[in-house]
Amino acid sequence: MRCYYYEVNWVSTLAIDHIHTYLVHPGKGAAVARQMGGTTVALSGKLFPLLSEIYARSENECDIDIAFNRSAHGAPQNPCRDLILTYLGGPTIVRGRHIAERLEAVTTHRSGLGLLFLISGSEGRDYKIVISRFAAHSAVSAEEDQQNLSVEFLERVFMRSAYAYKAVLYRSPSLTTGFWLGRAVDKQINSPESSNYWISEFLDSDMRTTAAAGTRRLALALRDAAKRTPDVGVKSEIAAAVTLATGLRGQRLSISDFTKQLRLSDAAKQAISDEVRGAGTLDERFQFDPDEFTKHVAYRTVEMDSGGLLTAEATAFDRVFQRDVIDEPEHKVRFSTEGRVVSERLGKMR
Amino acid sequence: MTELEQSYRRRFDTALTPLAIAIEAQLRDYFAIEPRIDRITARPKSVERFLAKAQITENERPKYTEPLHQIQDQVGARVVTLYLSDVARAAAVIERYYRQIEVRDVIPESEWEFGYFGRHYVLVVPTDLIDPSLDRALIPDFFELQVKTLFQHAWSEANHDLGYKPSAVPLTSDAQRRLAFTAAQAWGADRIFDELFRERGM
Repeated sequence: MRCYYYEVNWVSTLAIDHIHTYLVHPGKGAAVARQMGGTTVALSGKLFPLLSEIYARSENECDIDIAFNRSAHGAPQNPCRDLILTYLGGPTIVRGRHIAERLEAVTTHRSGLGLLFLISGSEGRDYKIVISRFAAHSAVSAEEDQQNLSVEFLERVFMRSAYAYKAVLYRSPSLTTGFWLGRAVDKQINSPESSNYWISEFLDSDMRTTAAAGTRRLALALRDAAKRTPDVGVKSEIAAAVTLATGLRGQRLSISDFTKQLRLSDAAKQAISDEVRGAGTLDERFQFDPDEFTKHVAYRTVEMDSGGLLTAEATAFDRVFQRDVIDEPEHKVRFSTEGRVVSERLGKMR
Repeated sequence: MTELEQSYRRRFDTALTPLAIAIEAQLRDYFAIEPRIDRITARPKSVERFLAKAQITENERPKYTEPLHQIQDQVGARVVTLYLSDVARAAAVIERYYRQIEVRDVIPESEWEFGYFGRHYVLVVPTDLIDPSLDRALIPDFFELQVKTLFQHAWSEANHDLGYKPSAVPLTSDAQRRLAFTAAQAWGADRIFDELFRERGM
């Protein structure tokens, strides 16, 4: 049975062919794997519209570009991708269970019980799968009649919020060479561990953009924006952001996230965004690498209208030079530093 | 003109050619401060070579059922180094900046054979090289990158020119042995140059 789902403003018709679901227990470190059930979800009824919405929404909601890791020996092989391709080759409860068992094997007690859905179908020439996990919650149900109110504690409630879940979307026309790239979302993210659980451990994947490549893009965008903008205030904002950036070691962020996290002004955001090229690059996430960052924005220089030039390592500039405002309306400042002179240079160019 | 040829021609002109230029420029940036890099190139697979590859059969069935999506070297790039020791250094740069789905050292099957040597990567096309004005469906997900020494590169170019021309007659046994001889000499030259390079502590 094939079920079509229509949504207002949705250009294409989404065809869901199969939905399977599994209850996934914490199983990380378990000596013996638990027997797991699983069931097929009907392509009609009360649950279907909710899952259809997740399937359709995944195109916009899954916004972390990821890629499966190759094998340690260099071969184009990944155990999680293999399970997904086998499942898509003929979706059955048994084939889907292997994916669920993989998730269970990396699920800790901290991540807890979860309900896994495998929603697959096709769009045009593409095969498509959305894999989503809802964490278990507790809730209280209340039944009222004319005389009584009865309440009951429910321990395994899922999808209490249809917006709090982890998911990943893959689509490709090829079941042989495709399905290397996907897009993930983690609406329950509250720690790096949480993210590692879904993307690194379960999906055996990493960001599509390497830490070095993403960080280099950010550093060059900041450097070029500071160089090109005529606005001294924006230059100063960007320079201050560079100084603070080393505190972001290991964080997964996009260039957009960076400008928001450091509360840059709209003018500074625009100056940076003008230096970013490529489709979706501004919002693509990567792991921040401070060593790569400082390679590209190693030094910060302040030029004064008095003719003075002050240069220091970008990350240390504010420690090396003390800045005092001496005439605010006139924007006059004094920079000072103390130390022994270790070198002096003459040059023909700035 | 077949539908596949028409599709690939469109892809070649509108997407692959600018993508190859962008990949080459990016590689040049990444290698700008690296010593002993002889050349960096990137180019789209020609229409003729793509169509020939799309027609390859395995067990009398087409190897590629979706050639536009399955053939991963629609853009091929190459980084050529001076010495064997430089290959690992170049590889480190590539692995730092590009997500890989495959890496393999291509070597002859037997220790008694000499032929093609090189390191091959299949890499994910970086998003910053994708022109937002282009139809995303025309951009392949991957490109191929080869890292070779000058001697490996020289041998493979000449070998390809002599042995893989579509209209050429098959190589005789003696011609194949002579090609293997040149491969052995290139292999030996690479080893000796690398030994000299390391002895001189450069």
